[in-house]
Amino acid sequence: MKKALIKDTIKEIKNTHRRFISILLMAFLGVGFFAGIRASSPDMLDTIDKYFKDENVYDIEVVSTLGLTNEDIDELKKVDGVKDVYGTYAKDALIEVADTEAVAKIMCVEEVNKPSVVEGRLPENNNECVVEELFLKSTGKKIGDKITIEIEDTTDDNGDKISYLKEKEVEIVGTAKTPIYISRDKGTSKLGAGKVNYYIYINEENINAKDIYTEIYINTEDGNKYKTSTQEYEDYIAKIKENIEDIKNSREQARHDMLVEKAQEKLDEAQKTFDEQKADAEAQIAEAQKQIDDGKAELEKGEAEINKNRQKANSEFAQAQKQIDNAKSQIQSGESELNAKETEANEQMQSAQNSKAEIQSNLNMARDALAQVNANYNLINQQLKNLEGMQDAQSAKQRAELEQTRTVLENKKRELEENIAKAEAGITQIEQSIQNGKAELENAKQTLQNSKSQITAQENTLKKTKIDAYAKIQDAQTTLNIAKSELANGEAELEEKRQEVDEKLNDAEKELIDARDKIAQIENATWYILDRNTNQGYTSFIQDTKSVESIGVVFPIVFFVIATLISLTSMTRMVEEERTQIGTLKALGYTKIQVASKYLIYALSACLIGGTIGMFVGCNLLPRVIWMMYSMMYSIDIFVVKFNVIYSLIGLAAASICVVGATLYAVLKELKETPAILMRPKAPKNGKRVLLEKVPFIWKHLSFTRKVTVRNLFRYKKRFLMTIIGILGCTALIITGFGLKDSITAIIPNQFEKVFKYDMQISLKANLEEEQKNDLITELKDKNEIKDIVETNITAGNLINGNKEEEVQIIVPKDTNELENVISLNDRKSKENVKLNDNEIMITDKLAQLTGTKVGDTIKIKDSDDKTKEFKVSNIVENYVGHYVYMSKNLYEKNYEKYETNVLYVDDEDISQEQEDLLVKEIVDKNEISSVSPTSTVMSMIDDMMNSLNYVVIILIVSAGMLAFVVLYNLSNVNISERIRELATIKVLGFYDKEVYNYISRETIILTLIGIVLGCIAGYYLNVFILGTCEINALRFAKIVNPMSYVYSILITIIFTIIVNIVTYFSLKKIDMIESLKSVE
Amino acid sequence: MSYIEFKNVVKKYEMGEITINALNKASFQIEKGELVVIVGPSGAGKTTALNILGGMDSVTSGEVIVDNKRVDHLKSKRLIQYRREDIGFVFQFYNLVQNLTAKENVELATEICNDSLDPVKVLKKVGLKNRMDNFPAQLSGGEQQRVAIARAIAKNPKLLLCDEPTGALDYKTGKQILKLLQDTARKENMTVLIITHNAALAPMADKIISFKNGKAEDIRINKEPVSIEDIEW
Repeated sequence: MKKALIKDTIKEIKNTHRRFISILLMAFLGVGFFAGIRASSPDMLDTIDKYFKDENVYDIEVVSTLGLTNEDIDELKKVDGVKDVYGTYAKDALIEVADTEAVAKIMCVEEVNKPSVVEGRLPENNNECVVEELFLKSTGKKIGDKITIEIEDTTDDNGDKISYLKEKEVEIVGTAKTPIYISRDKGTSKLGAGKVNYYIYINEENINAKDIYTEIYINTEDGNKYKTSTQEYEDYIAKIKENIEDIKNSREQARHDMLVEKAQEKLDEAQKTFDEQKADAEAQIAEAQKQIDDGKAELEKGEAEINKNRQKANSEFAQAQKQIDNAKSQIQSGESELNAKETEANEQMQSAQNSKAEIQSNLNMARDALAQVNANYNLINQQLKNLEGMQDAQSAKQRAELEQTRTVLENKKRELEENIAKAEAGITQIEQSIQNGKAELENAKQTLQNSKSQITAQENTLKKTKIDAYAKIQDAQTTLNIAKSELANGEAELEEKRQEVDEKLNDAEKELIDARDKIAQIENATWYILDRNTNQGYTSFIQDTKSVESIGVVFPIVFFVIATLISLTSMTRMVEEERTQIGTLKALGYTKIQVASKYLIYALSACLIGGTIGMFVGCNLLPRVIWMMYSMMYSIDIFVVKFNVIYSLIGLAAASICVVGATLYAVLKELKETPAILMRPKAPKNGKRVLLEKVPFIWKHLSFTRKVTVRNLFRYKKRFLMTIIGILGCTALIITGFGLKDSITAIIPNQFEKVFKYDMQISLKANLEEEQKNDLITELKDKNEIKDIVETNITAGNLINGNKEEEVQIIVPKDTNELENVISLNDRKSKENVKLNDNEIMITDKLAQLTGTKVGDTIKIKDSDDKTKEFKVSNIVENYVGHYVYMSKNLYEKNYEKYETNVLYVDDEDISQEQEDLLVKEIVDKNEISSVSPTSTVMSMIDDMMNSLNYVVIILIVSAGMLAFVVLYNLSNVNISERIRELATIKVLGFYDKEVYNYISRETIILTLIGIVLGCIAGYYLNVFILGTCEINALRFAKIVNPMSYVYSILITIIFTIIVNIVTYFSLKKIDMIESLKSVE
Repeated sequence: MSYIEFKNVVKKYEMGEITINALNKASFQIEKGELVVIVGPSGAGKTTALNILGGMDSVTSGEVIVDNKRVDHLKSKRLIQYRREDIGFVFQFYNLVQNLTAKENVELATEICNDSLDPVKVLKKVGLKNRMDNFPAQLSGGEQQRVAIARAIAKNPKLLLCDEPTGALDYKTGKQILKLLQDTARKENMTVLIITHNAALAPMADKIISFKNGKAEDIRINKEPVSIEDIEW
């Protein structure tokens, strides 16, 4: 390329920088949007892939109905392709905080599915735990606070109840995120309101019920070599799963056998203990019996002895008594003899006494006489004495007289004294004889007395001996009696004990029998070999990457097409403008390629610069924006933004090809002309009458300016089309954005209000007795909150039509008529209610679509045992979520086993959410019920998921708006530039700015209106198309666009149009008439 | 006071660092009903003067009075109004709207004027009775220029400004156009200004203004203008 040309090109870019920028901008938008949106889905995938690899997330999960053991782990380790096997524990618990009860999934910190610490640290001790941030936020707890984990006791392998945890009260030591639950939704639980609210990590050591794992997580050897969710990954995992499937049966059997063995062992031991105990008890009873018997014999012996003793004592005592009686009678006779003697002695003594008394009285007389004599004597003595001193004769006569009398007296006295002595001697003699008699009697009496007292003593001794003897006998008797009653007690006790033991043994025996029964009843273990696709958070994330991908397929194309068309218009205009120069260059002898190269370089550089900026900005910005929106839904901190070289280059190349191609087309078209023609101004496009003019009725009634507008519209057909396409694209994109949301959100009410009218689905436990079920249903029906209950049987199966196969749920109502109360069976086409008959089945519409089934077709249904049966389809019914087959009870029983209710559909009365929560809480605890899922919960769960769609809508609206703006602005510029002379002319003619603007904008408005109308139609179909491409297998989108969405879309488009028109208004005002009308160069 | 007063008008164009004086104190007067021919070499400022007079350009300094009205400092809207009501323009390249028929092109102008003339009559007057419904592309150059003139005079302007109206036409056709303009000026008593680089045309005018270096160097009044038919060049 010549220097001059290069210079010219650079100058050209400078001079027409607006055009250059507008092409650049189109390339920027086109490539940026294409690369950015396209890169978003892979970036999201890369992110989850990196996150899962970083946190060492499992590839395969194994759960079993009977728990898993270390042996299982060992066996799994041997499976081909399995690298690491981790057994772990997870269980739902109730956490009570601030008067509310929440359900938490209690998990253990493991090497697999590592939780990442957000704050604080991981638990190190048994009394520690980490929670998710949400928990702290919604409960107001802080790190350092304690919570109590209420967890149901678990049964160990021996069948004993043991506490699941060692420490129930744990301290929060940090917050963490887990790759297991990346979305807010954590699945269902049998506890509380039936939903897992939080997850909590504890130390594995805190698990008391060790070694019976609830889950086994497996990392495969090569799983990390593939990107998660890719086909390669899925295929690889499927292969490993198959390998595991190979040991499944044996492990299931082993687990069952192990439990049986343990139970048998325990039973045997119990039997042994029972037998031993029985023998023991029997021996004890026998011993006791023997003792009693011995006691009895002894008692009898004792009694005999006592009797003997008593008899002996009796006879001995009788003899002794007799002797005593003899002695007594002897004494009696002695006594009477003595008495006689005494009487005799007393008589003798009386006479002696009498003689004594006679003597005594003589004596006394003598004594009196003596006393008289003595007194006289003493008187004489006294007188004498008195005379002694007086020597007088009288005194001497007197004295002698006295002396005489005194001698007489002295004689008399001597006589008397002799008499007295004699009397006294007689008294003494009598007294002596009385004394003797008395002594003799006394002696006799004494002797008698002696013998009497001897007898008495003897008698007393006898009496005492007798009493003693009898007392002893009595004592012996008493002791014997006590022993007797004791023995009787003992006997009664023994009897009682015997009964007791019998009872106990009976009970024990019964228990043994029960235990035996239980062993027989130990279910077979069932292994579920799962992969990441059963992790709700992961699946919904992958699903979201898919929808982003789907958007990435269609939208950038719309963008691209429009951007290319606009660039084409711009470049064509440029070439046309430079026609003269092209002619000159050609005339000067430049080759076609050289001439064209300027424009190609111009276009290409704009395209490359714009595109390059676009791909960098797009690849970095759009995935981030999209991620920002999705990250609100998922708790993943990292985000991997990779510069997506392939998509970027594809976008850049495509944009370059389109723009350069368009330029080349425009240039070559011009270059075909000879220089002479080129150098002359291009004859302006000829005016032409439009078809409408041939309809004078309308044409005549149009004002002049309208006519002009109409004619102009048809004159610039390319621009006309471009504008319409631009507006159409914009409107369509916005409508699609809204429509996507409308369609997807409509699923919920469609499915859960229109089709599923029930409020609650209750799954019953397997193996319930008919009676239990009926009791439960009656009980539930009696509840005030419950209006109606419909019994159904739901089983899983596969519907096969030709080579197409889909998983389905087969719903068999107990009573076909009742089903209507909870599920509407409406024909897909006629929308009319249809009824099940006994020969045919009904299937849901999406299922019919996926399997290509039509009414009247015969399809096959494969049940879980891989048995297939053929059925004819009577109707295809409306449905939005999941795949269902409806079958009447009779048809079911004809083909399968007897009908058995396993799911209850519950229709509530009009109750509030709180009431419903309470009801759920109340019935979820029932033994017969395995799970309760209220429709409201399911709805809010899906609703949460749908919220992410708002972001999609925003992205679409913003990008569509940008597109619309650029398109309209560009077209408006082209329009002005193309018609600058015309515009300058009318300005010269004196059109006011507004009139000039109207002159142009009338066209724009009409084009915009046409664009909007067509856009609404296109939007509808684009929506349908996109929904079709990104529709999830199990969902049927309603493919509707709400009227309000049209209104919003139209308004948004109009707003963008207005903005562009304001810009246009000012550019029109700025048109320089003189410059524009200068003679054509 | 003359009908048109052009007093000491200066027009400077700033082209980067260079300033070009397109008009350098140009002054002239024109009376009502005069047919004026403006002559002068390229770049002398003829067109600039005409543009300013036509309300398409502003002055740097000086006064422009048309019919006792200052037009040099009119606000944008008043200026448009001035163009709309008082001025008729005829260009070298006709500047017809290609998408409109001859009649419609005239109507485009009359639509916006209050006391406009009947487009059909005007077109008849300019000799296009049979070509009224033709599009510009279907008309010859002379016919197109007639349409342009019809469009200009249909507005019934005070001033008819023609910038090289015959520049793109052959001799004969050019002559016919000039005839039309001369007749119009005479019959309608319209003030007509014609720019031409062809000095030979001067005798047809009532007044000849010669421009040179941005000044009206010479203003001649032609007491006896001749009919264009009598002028050969």
